[in-house]
Amino acid sequence: MAISASALPHAHAESHAHHDHEAELRREHLMLDPKPRGEMNAMVMESMTTTSWKFWVVAGILALIVAVALFGAWGYMISEGLYLSGKNRPGYWSLFLVHTVFWVGISHAGTFVSALLRVFKVEFRRPFTRAAELMTTFALAQAGIQIFAHMGRVWLAYWMFPIPNQRQLWVNFQSPLMWDFLAINTYLLASTMYLFLPLIPDLAMARDRSTGWRKSVYRILALGFRGTEAEWTHLRIALNIFAFAILPVMFSVHTIVSWDFAVAMRPGWSSTIFGPYFVIGALQSGVAAVGMVVIVIRYTMKHMDYFIRKEHFDAIGKLMLVISMGWAYFFFNDYMIQWYGGDSFTDALLHFHEAGPGGWIWFMMLITNVAIPWLVLWNRAWRRNPVILFSVGLLINVGMWAERYIIVPVSLQINRMPFLWGQDFRPGIEVPIFIGTVAFFILLYMLASRFLPLVPVWEVQEGQMAHSIRKYGKEPVVTVAELE
Amino acid sequence: MAILPKIPEYKAEWAEGEEGRWGIAIDMDLCTGCQACVAACSMENNVPFVGEHDAGYGRQMAWIRVERLWEGEYPEVRATPFQPVMCQQCGAAPCEAVCPVFATVHSQAEQINLQVYNRCVGTRYCANNCPYVARVFNWADYSNYPEPLANQFNPDVTVRRRGVMEKCTFCIQRIHKATDQAKAEGREVRDGEVQPACAQACPAEAIVFGRLDDPESRVSKLSKDKRSVKLLEDLGTQPRVTYLKGGYHGNLG
Amino acid sequence: MTEKLSRRDFLKVVGAGAATAAVLTGCGPASRYVTREPYTKMPEYNYNGQSTYFATTCRECAAGCGLVVRTMQGRAIKTEGNPYNPVNLGKTCARGQATLQGLYNPDRVKNPLRNSRGESNPAGERDWTEMSWDAAIGVVAEALKAPAGVQFLLGLAPDHLFDLVSDLCKSLGAPAPIRYGALSMFEARVTLGEAARAVFGRPDTLFFDLANADLVISFGANFLETWISPVAFTRGYARMRKQRARGILIQLEPRLSQTAAKADLWYPIKPGSEGLVAAALGKLYAEEKLGVAPVAFEGVDVTAAAEAAGLEVEALEKLTALLLDADRPLVLPGGAALAHENGLETAKAILALNVLLGNPGKPGGVYHTPVSPLGEEYRRPASLKEMADLVERMNAGQIKTLLVHGVNPVFELPKALGFEAALAKVPTVISFATFPDETAMAAHYIFPDHHGLESWGYQRVTDGTGQSMLSGAQPVVAPFYNTKSTVDVLLAAANLPFKDEVEYLQNQVAALVEQSGGFYSAPDLPSFWALFQQFGGWWKNDPGLGVPGVAGVLEKKLNLKTGEKSASYDEFDLLVYPSPILAEAGANKPWLQETPDPMTTVMWNSWIEINPKTAKKLGLHNDDVVRVVSPYGAVEVSVYEYPAIRPDAVAIPFGQGHTAYGRYAQQRGVNPADLFGPRFNAAGDLAFADVKVRIEKTGKKRELSRLESKLGVYGEGMEEH
Repeated sequence: MAISASALPHAHAESHAHHDHEAELRREHLMLDPKPRGEMNAMVMESMTTTSWKFWVVAGILALIVAVALFGAWGYMISEGLYLSGKNRPGYWSLFLVHTVFWVGISHAGTFVSALLRVFKVEFRRPFTRAAELMTTFALAQAGIQIFAHMGRVWLAYWMFPIPNQRQLWVNFQSPLMWDFLAINTYLLASTMYLFLPLIPDLAMARDRSTGWRKSVYRILALGFRGTEAEWTHLRIALNIFAFAILPVMFSVHTIVSWDFAVAMRPGWSSTIFGPYFVIGALQSGVAAVGMVVIVIRYTMKHMDYFIRKEHFDAIGKLMLVISMGWAYFFFNDYMIQWYGGDSFTDALLHFHEAGPGGWIWFMMLITNVAIPWLVLWNRAWRRNPVILFSVGLLINVGMWAERYIIVPVSLQINRMPFLWGQDFRPGIEVPIFIGTVAFFILLYMLASRFLPLVPVWEVQEGQMAHSIRKYGKEPVVTVAELE
Repeated sequence: MAILPKIPEYKAEWAEGEEGRWGIAIDMDLCTGCQACVAACSMENNVPFVGEHDAGYGRQMAWIRVERLWEGEYPEVRATPFQPVMCQQCGAAPCEAVCPVFATVHSQAEQINLQVYNRCVGTRYCANNCPYVARVFNWADYSNYPEPLANQFNPDVTVRRRGVMEKCTFCIQRIHKATDQAKAEGREVRDGEVQPACAQACPAEAIVFGRLDDPESRVSKLSKDKRSVKLLEDLGTQPRVTYLKGGYHGNLG
Repeated sequence: MTEKLSRRDFLKVVGAGAATAAVLTGCGPASRYVTREPYTKMPEYNYNGQSTYFATTCRECAAGCGLVVRTMQGRAIKTEGNPYNPVNLGKTCARGQATLQGLYNPDRVKNPLRNSRGESNPAGERDWTEMSWDAAIGVVAEALKAPAGVQFLLGLAPDHLFDLVSDLCKSLGAPAPIRYGALSMFEARVTLGEAARAVFGRPDTLFFDLANADLVISFGANFLETWISPVAFTRGYARMRKQRARGILIQLEPRLSQTAAKADLWYPIKPGSEGLVAAALGKLYAEEKLGVAPVAFEGVDVTAAAEAAGLEVEALEKLTALLLDADRPLVLPGGAALAHENGLETAKAILALNVLLGNPGKPGGVYHTPVSPLGEEYRRPASLKEMADLVERMNAGQIKTLLVHGVNPVFELPKALGFEAALAKVPTVISFATFPDETAMAAHYIFPDHHGLESWGYQRVTDGTGQSMLSGAQPVVAPFYNTKSTVDVLLAAANLPFKDEVEYLQNQVAALVEQSGGFYSAPDLPSFWALFQQFGGWWKNDPGLGVPGVAGVLEKKLNLKTGEKSASYDEFDLLVYPSPILAEAGANKPWLQETPDPMTTVMWNSWIEINPKTAKKLGLHNDDVVRVVSPYGAVEVSVYEYPAIRPDAVAIPFGQGHTAYGRYAQQRGVNPADLFGPRFNAAGDLAFADVKVRIEKTGKKRELSRLESKLGVYGEGMEEH
């Protein structure tokens, strides 16, 4: 057990009396505020099983929206043709692709928070890694729906699978869409497994504390986990491997999504910076979404006020700020390289971004993605305010939606044939389908919150075991033991 | 004397078939913009009409369009020469590489871009990647004509259903019949023996079709004319359609 | 195999195999020349049966282009040009291509119909009931019993039906049939004919040898669109451009038409000033070349002419210099130039200029059209004055039975002539329309003729080619509906001694069997008839052009007046031109509706072209609906900001605005002929180009479907930097 001084904040406590300081630290940090394990387990179990009628009303409404706006509208579109959507020439791609990228972007934060922060042993991650990982899986499912809705003949979507078959068809590995298809599938598989692995001890805990159908389901899912030393060792090794292995997948998947655009011969798309630009954009929207989800969980579910505290809002707010700066850098970089290229069509496109009919969207993107986070998130009190943080998260997601909107349908309006530049673009059935996927995402999340422990109890307990407050002289110092 | 690094000459990846087999030369001086090619192509290839709203919304299905832009202000205003644009059957086609299911491939026999309708799943990536915006998509089942309008459909050409991409094929059904005929007679296809619908209809004979790999053919000679240009040639797409410029003020300066 | 494969080894082998397969397939050769065949064979690569080809004549306009129609299993599949036909030499226009959409139009008249409300409600609602062809023939026979009250109104094409009806009317003592078509109004053909009579001594539409001219000055002749024989003129244009020294085209007209778009120079002259400009050019040319202007041009004040046209004098001097340089200059009189009250004088001035340039009877010049193989009468269509007389006779109750075939006068005649109201005064109106057009809907009976591709016939071709020819027609498919040839109906009704239409046609062409110099010859009528069908007509191999007489032409004084000046800004010259795609009868073919207009790329609707500067002054934008008001009528139509039109003029294409004529045509766009008034020029043609209109805002907006991008072509929607 190595002991090291933690990076947790303590400088702000200087003016307080020392014992107040210690109480303050315990109130502030979940890791320093341990509860007996049995009590904590009971709290998590209760948060899953306490369900008010309001929950079912909301879930029912969402299910209705999913049935009508998502599957109803989509089915109608499949039977009628894509003319119901707002696509045309030259806007062959539009909102479905925007929403695919949007959901893939959201899905990024789950892995980012849980894998990257796990690898770097960032301690504040512990109570909300599960919430973030669930988001990854559910958001990817929405991305899949959107990309299938995008296809002209979705009933032949299985032709994209590289299976040798009697049709003598084979897929084109040269196509960025193929890379995309494989990358998203890989990511879905990997993130689902990465969601499942740390769930095992919690499922075992739930199995031991439940009865009836829950118990039998948890028993199957827990894979017979008993908590022996060997099992913990294997789990830790597996988690370590996965945490490291999934990171390149995470970075690659959005890079590959960006290649759908960057590889194409189009002004505005053919940009080498698109890979990292898309990744940072994905983190921007994803981390903002994590912040929103965490706030919702904190204020709607029982006992979550214990697990999720202002320190987490604070930390997520800082992450959002840093990522927003990164995004601004890459945006500037992309813009400048394209502008410097001097291609007349690209120039026209850049001008069209600002001065075309969608110009206000371009400015809105800059305001919500850069100006607002920079102005708001510097302030510690504002960061810690759930309403403000939630609003900023929402605005950032609106801004990131706008960014994808500008990259896909708006940029498609300008091509190398001015005779056929964009006429206009009117969203059609994409709007209900998008609302449907949002509802579907929330619905899946709500249902999962009734069944899966949204807080990884064992990770919180592990963290609390490692943390302690020691006194050097009169100064209370937070220390963390390395558990290996 | 400074030694400068030798910059390697750019070579397109696909060197084979540099000239291509079939090609079109369009004399923009002769094209009167009369749209006979548009109508002829649509009739030959079962191109459906889409109605007023969809046509105005950028969903018109014609495989060939006649472009004209404007220059100057009244009274010195000029329409630029009419320019019929169809699929340029690129030698290095940007559309081919991006289709995930090989629905658009380069055919070995004709060296043109095939669009395999029944393999298309409708990702529309090819259309995005086509710098000539030559591809059109079946946004709906536009071919569901009221009876008996469907009687005119050409049985040699697929009637496309919703969700697939389509584009100019150089009237491949005609090329096939002509090459088969020539093969049966043990000879090569003669120049002028096969014509796509647009070239056949063109009243000004502005559109000339033929073998590019035959240096004696009309289209080969026109392609090497001093007036010849290719559309967006700097992209390295190796288009098989040549435009002969000229049109106005040709003699008057 | 005795050795047991452990699970671990098995997994290793499977994993390695899968990885190898993935690498080999993924990194293998690219798709490029892999032979890839569709799941099922596409018809493009298959043989789906044998096609049969039939030569016939295109009936979409009166130019008489030859068609070869490909049929398969009894269905017409594709029309192509007949490569032997001297008019089009295997080429077609968009309308010829779309003729199949007329044949298979879902809105054809399928049976002979009777208005069952009878004559008690002659002008009101119609209630159609089917009737038998025997009864239909009875109706016609009954009408022919009182020949003095019978009037035939036929289409523009001088075809076998016209011959039959002419003979029939002559023998019965009925008034001679009238031929009319909107295109003859827009081309002011009667005016041109009368000018030819005055200048060359013989009325004729004249043959302009565009192909061999090296400088063409066209006063609004839209010969690449609809003028007289557009496919033939397009071929001629191409040949003119392909001469060793590329021929020059100069267009003088107030709006940049599709033809003007191909011109090397375009001068937007004031409508009505064409004759003055022609005379001024003649004066300048003669003074330069001969030292003195002939009588015809000497009275012209060049400066005043230039001012009337809105041109600089330098422009006229430049044109004169070009004329002096040219070896074979040619001057064309366009339709709109003649459709002024001074139109006949304008036509004379233009023809006189041709005489001055030495054109009559020279390559690249002006000729008389060849004599038709079946007789040499000048059979001109009716002028609008004659149509107005017809309306007068209808109103006076002199016409008991009006038989209409091949023309849609309710649509094609200006409303101000009152044809529709006059129809109500005719006790029996019989329409032989293939489509339920406006006239048919207002008739008492519809006895539908076959579609052109289902019927026999021939057509005299007088324009477009220099050869004397008769274009032949035959059915390429069996009649699709219960229709009957009008010739058969008339033969039966009048009890004429012909078994059927074919026998009548054979009787008519029998005279050609003896003629020499033909494209083919045959020993007897059956062989000749077979060849006539095979080649789609008969024509002489050598041109049969006549040389116009020019004696004393330049010694006659021309009486040219300056067009009226309208100084006020709320009055605009109305330019109406036949839509190059739809012309007068194309609106019911959906693909023609969807074919973009060559200049505006608008589809499926009407528009009004306004100069952007004028639009700005009036506070109008693209797609704003305006009310166009003339003294005779008003229409509401969307604005198209057209950069190449005089700021004091507006233009509306003719071709839309049907109230009937099938689902693709009706309730679509406006008919600008509603704005014309009954004012005629000296030759009796309508002076429609004199009409002035006011533009009123309506505050409504109706978006035009256009192919071009407003953003890419006009920068619309993008703010200025």
